[in-house]
Amino acid sequence: MKAYFEKMKGTTQSPPRVSMSEIMWSWLGAFLGIGFIAYVNANIFEKIDLLMIIGSFGASAVLIYGAIKSPLAQPRNLLGGHILSAVVGVASYQLFHAHLWFASAIAVATAIAVMHATKTLHPPGGATALIAVIGGEKIHSLGYLYAIMPAGGGALIMLVIALLVNNVPKNRKYPEFWA
Amino acid sequence: MASESRPSGNKHFMVPADISDRDIYEAMKDIPGYLDITPGDLKEVFHFAYQHAVERISGAVKARDIMTAEVHTVLQDTPLKEVANLMADRRISGVPVLAADKTVIGIISERDFLSRMGAPDGMHIMSIIAECMKGKGCLAAPIRQTTAGDIMTSPAVTVTEEMPLFRIMELFAEKGINRVPVVDSLNVLTGIISRTNIIRAPVPRGGTVSGS
Repeated sequence: MKAYFEKMKGTTQSPPRVSMSEIMWSWLGAFLGIGFIAYVNANIFEKIDLLMIIGSFGASAVLIYGAIKSPLAQPRNLLGGHILSAVVGVASYQLFHAHLWFASAIAVATAIAVMHATKTLHPPGGATALIAVIGGEKIHSLGYLYAIMPAGGGALIMLVIALLVNNVPKNRKYPEFWA
Repeated sequence: MASESRPSGNKHFMVPADISDRDIYEAMKDIPGYLDITPGDLKEVFHFAYQHAVERISGAVKARDIMTAEVHTVLQDTPLKEVANLMADRRISGVPVLAADKTVIGIISERDFLSRMGAPDGMHIMSIIAECMKGKGCLAAPIRQTTAGDIMTSPAVTVTEEMPLFRIMELFAEKGINRVPVVDSLNVLTGIISRTNIIRAPVPRGGTVSGS
């Protein structure tokens, strides 16, 4: 019992702070990536009743522009995580929309399991699955299209911008791996 | 050397990697960008990797590579006096006992002599000397007429030529032995490995194997 509570004290320290240039490049990548899809969403997609941006992309931006070495931030995880989680989320909503709390829980839990099993774990994927359930009428009306646009398409554009921006500085490179 | 201290059954042979939390933290600072791992986890990864490296490097060295092929041996019916003379002349602390067909049937070490001379197992050679100095006469008297087969430890712990070095080191620690005969698939003696062979084994600490 004592050992159980001992574990809550932690055993190590926080990783070192990154350099100022790392902070600047993370900022720039996120600004361009989110800026691009938000602009296209507002000026083109909204007019044709489509979406290109969802809340979970904010979380993806942290990873693919701010923690680019992380296994969680790699292209396989970014695309796989969003697309698979979106499918799981839409299926959960369509099967269990009578009980939204249950659909939400099953969507996120199953999304994590599927991402783990497919080696595509990407934390924002959990949000993508949840948004498919509680994201409102507009999201629900997309059906499985949600997995392609905004989830897949938006993530793909963020990826292209990550590839372009993250490889400009000499001591930065992205990705670590593709497959 | 029958009295040398025996390592306490250290199951997993491992050279500890002397790396501090500070080293890990500084190494993380050397790599630009955010590393998505805590210094604690990174240290753990390092330790496991180091252990694997040690096993790989010492696993590449086999019994065959470090054994002494020229082995002094005795037969089951060799008189103990001859055994003692052989060990004294050759300055060795143990000899394998062979059958007529060269298969290993046992091993005799200083410890086997000591225990037959009335010394409890693990007793120091100095206690025998101390007894002699008390004027009680030679403690070897009772075993003058016996042969190798009478005092040998049998069956002997043996290894094959293929056994990796780190397994042999584990075996030494586990069994508390100082030498082990190397045998082929028919249990025929092909060599012997003592602690000296292990100390001289080509296993650099934290490097690559330099020839074998």
